[in-house]
Amino acid sequence: MIDRASRFSGLWQKYLLSVSRIALIRGDFFSRSRASFFSLAILVVLFFSCRTPFDPEIPQTASQILVVEGYLDMQGTLSELKISRMSGLDSSQSPSPETAALIYLESSVGTKYYLEEDSEGRYLFQYNLGFDDTYRLFIELQDGERYQSAPLTPIQTPEIIDVGFLRDEEGVEIFLTTQGNENADDFLWGFVETWAYRPRIGTSYIYDASIGNVRDRFSDEQISICYKSASSPDILLETSSRFQDQVVFRQTITEIPENDERIMDRYSILISQMAIDEEASKFWEILKKNSNDIGSIFSPLPSLIRGNISHIDDPAIPVVGQVSLGVIRQKRLFVDLQDVTPWNFVDPQFNDCIVSAEAVYQVDYQRIFGSGDIVPVVPIMERTTIVAFYPTYRRCADCSLYASPILPDFWEED
Amino acid sequence: MNIFTRGILLILCLVSGLSYAQQTPNRISGFYPGVPFERFMEKIEEETTYRFFFKESDIKDLTVNLQANNDKLEDVLSQIFLPTDLKFSISKTGEVFISKGQKLTVDFPDSFFAQNEENQSEGMTSAQDEFVRNRRYVIGVPSGEGTTAKIRGQVLSLENSKPIQGAIVYDKITQAQTITNPEGRYELTVPKGNQTILIQNIGGYTEQRLVTIQGDGELNMSIGEGVFSLSEVVVRSGALTNISRPEMGVQSLSVQQMRKLPSVMGEVDILKGILTMPGVNTAGEASVGFNVRGGAADQNLILYDQNTLFNPSHLFGFFSSVNSDMVQGVELYKAGIPANLGGRLSSVLQVTPKLGRTDKIGGSGGIGPLTSRLSVEGPIGSKTTFIVGARMTYSDWLLDYLEDKADIGASRAFFADFNGTIQHQLNEKNILRFTGYYSEDEFQFDPDTVYSYSNQNFALSWTHYFNDQVEATFSAGQDGYDFQVQGEDNPLNSYRYNFDIRQRFVKAQFRQEKGDRHIFSYGIHSIWYDLNPGEIAPFGAESIVIPDDVAAEKALETSLFFGDEFEINEKLTVTGGLRYNLYGYFGPQTLPEYAPGQPNLPENIIGEKNYASGELAKSYHGPEFRFSGRYALTNWSSIKGGVNTMRQNIHLMSNSSVMTPTDTWKLSDPFIKPQRGIQYGLGYFHNLKNNSVEFSAEVYYRTMENLLDYRSGAKIVLNDRIEQDVLVTKGKAYGLELFLRKSTGKLNGSVAYTYSRSLMQTDPSEQKEQINRSEWYPSNFDQPHNANLVLNYELSRRINTTLAAKYSTGRPVTLPVAKFEYGGSERVYFGDRNSVRIPDYFRLDFSVNLEGNHKVKKTAHGSWSFGVYNVLGRDNPYSVYYIPEEGTLQGYKLSIFAEPIPFVTYNFRF
Repeated sequence: MIDRASRFSGLWQKYLLSVSRIALIRGDFFSRSRASFFSLAILVVLFFSCRTPFDPEIPQTASQILVVEGYLDMQGTLSELKISRMSGLDSSQSPSPETAALIYLESSVGTKYYLEEDSEGRYLFQYNLGFDDTYRLFIELQDGERYQSAPLTPIQTPEIIDVGFLRDEEGVEIFLTTQGNENADDFLWGFVETWAYRPRIGTSYIYDASIGNVRDRFSDEQISICYKSASSPDILLETSSRFQDQVVFRQTITEIPENDERIMDRYSILISQMAIDEEASKFWEILKKNSNDIGSIFSPLPSLIRGNISHIDDPAIPVVGQVSLGVIRQKRLFVDLQDVTPWNFVDPQFNDCIVSAEAVYQVDYQRIFGSGDIVPVVPIMERTTIVAFYPTYRRCADCSLYASPILPDFWEED
Repeated sequence: MNIFTRGILLILCLVSGLSYAQQTPNRISGFYPGVPFERFMEKIEEETTYRFFFKESDIKDLTVNLQANNDKLEDVLSQIFLPTDLKFSISKTGEVFISKGQKLTVDFPDSFFAQNEENQSEGMTSAQDEFVRNRRYVIGVPSGEGTTAKIRGQVLSLENSKPIQGAIVYDKITQAQTITNPEGRYELTVPKGNQTILIQNIGGYTEQRLVTIQGDGELNMSIGEGVFSLSEVVVRSGALTNISRPEMGVQSLSVQQMRKLPSVMGEVDILKGILTMPGVNTAGEASVGFNVRGGAADQNLILYDQNTLFNPSHLFGFFSSVNSDMVQGVELYKAGIPANLGGRLSSVLQVTPKLGRTDKIGGSGGIGPLTSRLSVEGPIGSKTTFIVGARMTYSDWLLDYLEDKADIGASRAFFADFNGTIQHQLNEKNILRFTGYYSEDEFQFDPDTVYSYSNQNFALSWTHYFNDQVEATFSAGQDGYDFQVQGEDNPLNSYRYNFDIRQRFVKAQFRQEKGDRHIFSYGIHSIWYDLNPGEIAPFGAESIVIPDDVAAEKALETSLFFGDEFEINEKLTVTGGLRYNLYGYFGPQTLPEYAPGQPNLPENIIGEKNYASGELAKSYHGPEFRFSGRYALTNWSSIKGGVNTMRQNIHLMSNSSVMTPTDTWKLSDPFIKPQRGIQYGLGYFHNLKNNSVEFSAEVYYRTMENLLDYRSGAKIVLNDRIEQDVLVTKGKAYGLELFLRKSTGKLNGSVAYTYSRSLMQTDPSEQKEQINRSEWYPSNFDQPHNANLVLNYELSRRINTTLAAKYSTGRPVTLPVAKFEYGGSERVYFGDRNSVRIPDYFRLDFSVNLEGNHKVKKTAHGSWSFGVYNVLGRDNPYSVYYIPEEGTLQGYKLSIFAEPIPFVTYNFRF
């Protein structure tokens, strides 16, 4: 129980951190004050307060609601629409995708632009359409249920003016600068982070059972540099008219805490900027509030979430989803370790990783390296021939155990 | 007793009732059915400043068998000692010496220190013997001029050295006479030579002094006060009032009762005391407000004397913002609100500040782990009294300590409050009083953002007694509340956000007795509201935050009221009242015009209208009725019924389940209508065991209109057009309240049980959004079962223990019912509003109050209060929520005080 309690308290701290970080990113004093009240109340009573798991009996009735998500690019960039059904809170599987639906965008004159099903529940859209028209999205599910969106007006998203980063005592802050205009006032940002991941011990050798010997790794066999990727779980929103000349200056996109793994070598972030209308902004705001601010001491009451999709035959059937049309503007930023040094990422789970001082001679190659759990690292040369290797455990040298060894095609080395 | 004396006594009572009533704390009251004399003495020492000195063997078998009603100790002791040969002497400082056979002389006779000065006086002599009466005082220096001389002086009570007002001082021969003023002072012109001055205190002996008048001089006298038992005209208060007063739904709590309650962090708290009453509950342990009979927290009018406190708490409700040392008592009107009070829908909490004592400068204070307080009070001159108090926290050390335990960053919290009252008696008919209150809270979670709020109140009131029947109080003052957030996280985004509210009020209130059966109260009450609903401004030179504000709001509210308490006959008393409320919303203001019949949404705006400064933009008016009646079934029981309607023109905009300091206020405008409510109640009141046990049962039903709820995603801060986010909501509440209180005896306390419901419904005509399909849903504070227990046990005079328990049904919450993926993360979908309840609440507190020894000579009387809050360590959930954890949503309940919390406080008075 004590263990459990301390674990909760740790999570608690993390949660607090994440809440305040979101608030910071938002830069909105209101949500910030909410988050902070939350924190303060905790601070005051931190010593006494506690949280314990709670599983109330909830009638599982609403779990079949349709969910629609998508920002469709009208300038030919491939974009996607996702449709799925909600699932019960207690179910461990992710919400079930809605497959084989017929989806199209219809212009005001009745031209239909069909979306193509990609993987389960994901439908692709790639058209170059006019911005002066209004459109409507239609969804017909496999079982014949029909849904439609409210009339949609595409918004020309302004270009991202600048992306950059700032090194301070807390770590690295990634920021973006853009400028809104009379059509594009509210912004939604998303990002995908990718970073190079190196194992504690690098090796360029591999034991090849077919030749019974150790050889150099081919480039598709390398395990010394891999790439991890993660997309933003946060909802980043800002209204440009809050600022002079609608300039959103150095909007925080994400913060990388000091000595984080992400900048152990080279880090890249692809930031997408999408202009949305006020209704959509409200939708995302509610979504964000409902996920970040649940049940804390001063949190607002949860809001009903709907969006701009409705059931054609029975409007009383709830649907959740806000579909927007516009342009997705993207910019990629790289941050190198040397840009931020000193930066000491140490993963304690590899602290026992050493290159063994006991050399493995060729006669033992098959016995030692055959299973793959131990890999050759440092060769021992006799004159010009390698006679043995100092080995290490594979978990210390193989980054592909933790990340993808394939170089992403956007990756640039400087 | 003849009719004449009765008449005099009645007048005396009226006079003392009308003028600022001087309490006689050293009078003895109580029923002693054969209690040991020792126990009797303990009781006396507890209730008065008398201290007994005796030989144990002398009083061993003595028992006391009498009923005293505000009697003097001398009379009581004389009666007790009548069958014995015990004698007693009382010194001027209140030491009572009991001796066998011979009376002790406890004070030196006057002549002992007699000096041959030109001004003779008795000083503070107390020995009431023949010597004083028969001694000849020489007054003044011989001078040839004139045949008369002026003598001045002060007449003091022998028992408590307080001035005696209204005593007649006269010369035996010439019958020249005068009456002492409220300070007991007199001035009399008498012929020179040997004279006899007589002092007739109403209801007391006639005293005499023999004087030789040589010239002008001073003669101070100490005389015995009344010798008649006052039992026949004692106005019964306290025990019987719950039966006899016509209003129902009124709960009183004295500071003494509050002191006994265990508290968080050892701080006596008026709001926590109120929460032990039936029909009062709170949304959680860390919430600012309280809920009365299913009403929201902003529907309570919290009056500190005449001033409205907008935020009644420090540190988010962990402490209430009123220093308990400065409070005489609190009265909560849940129903039966008198016509002279109004402006909120649910209740009025009247906090009566303490007035400074008149005898000497004294004070009290307390030292606790988080806070300390100090108050000083006393007279300034003979006509003015004052009391000032301060309270402050020094919680930083705790935060520092916590910082070692957990990473809480640069969090800081600070609060303080100051208040004071000065009362000045201009003359017998006029009293002036000034009351001021100031509080400040400041807190931050990181070095960059500072939050602060402050209450500022002051009022001046003048009470005038026209005659025995009519009195009036005129008051004027201002109530203010400020809130501010200052963010300096990034020089470019630094901002300052604030809102504030000022209300200036004038009130004239008359109270008139008409015959024996009517008491009228009537008057006028005006409030000028000046509200800045919120503004944000860049902070610092580099900031690019665009200033923004919501237009200031101004309104005038005037209420005319008339109430009558009419005693139809001994059994039936009714009070009725009418309060007519006029409300005007004034420019400068720019308001949109919405298409008729369309919801107030941006797309329905068809125009805009400008109102010049002072121009009336919208007015509302309507009557409020207050009626209640009492029918006495027997001497010990009565039934009461009542109905009252209320209006509220100022609304707290809050989108969270509890009241938070960021919640802003809003005035009624053309779109937000005044909240209205009506409440019906019926009650049965019964006293048992000679009024020592009170029982009451009340039922009520109320409906409310024009309540505010908010559509999804409503933004409350800096929202220019809040009507676009507001949902017109109706409310209803009903309940049963049972209350049992035993107020005397070694074991005393109270039990309260409430069954109540509080429901809300989006008005079916509301087009913006309908919460729960416009069905009735429980409000955030709908807690059907609620029970409170307070038990005091007096182990001895010095040790008093208290056990308090509280149980309530868990409050309703809105919980997620399904999950889905959106925006790159798992999200939750919420079910119907307030359809699930958090687990029930139960808490047990224990405290011990330890009085210091009772040595009179001590410079300060100290007492320790220690105990444990939440003895059982039950982790009562405050709220529940979900967090995505390793791919699934995990529900958690959050408890605030999940462990037993010990506390200790040292209190003192001097």
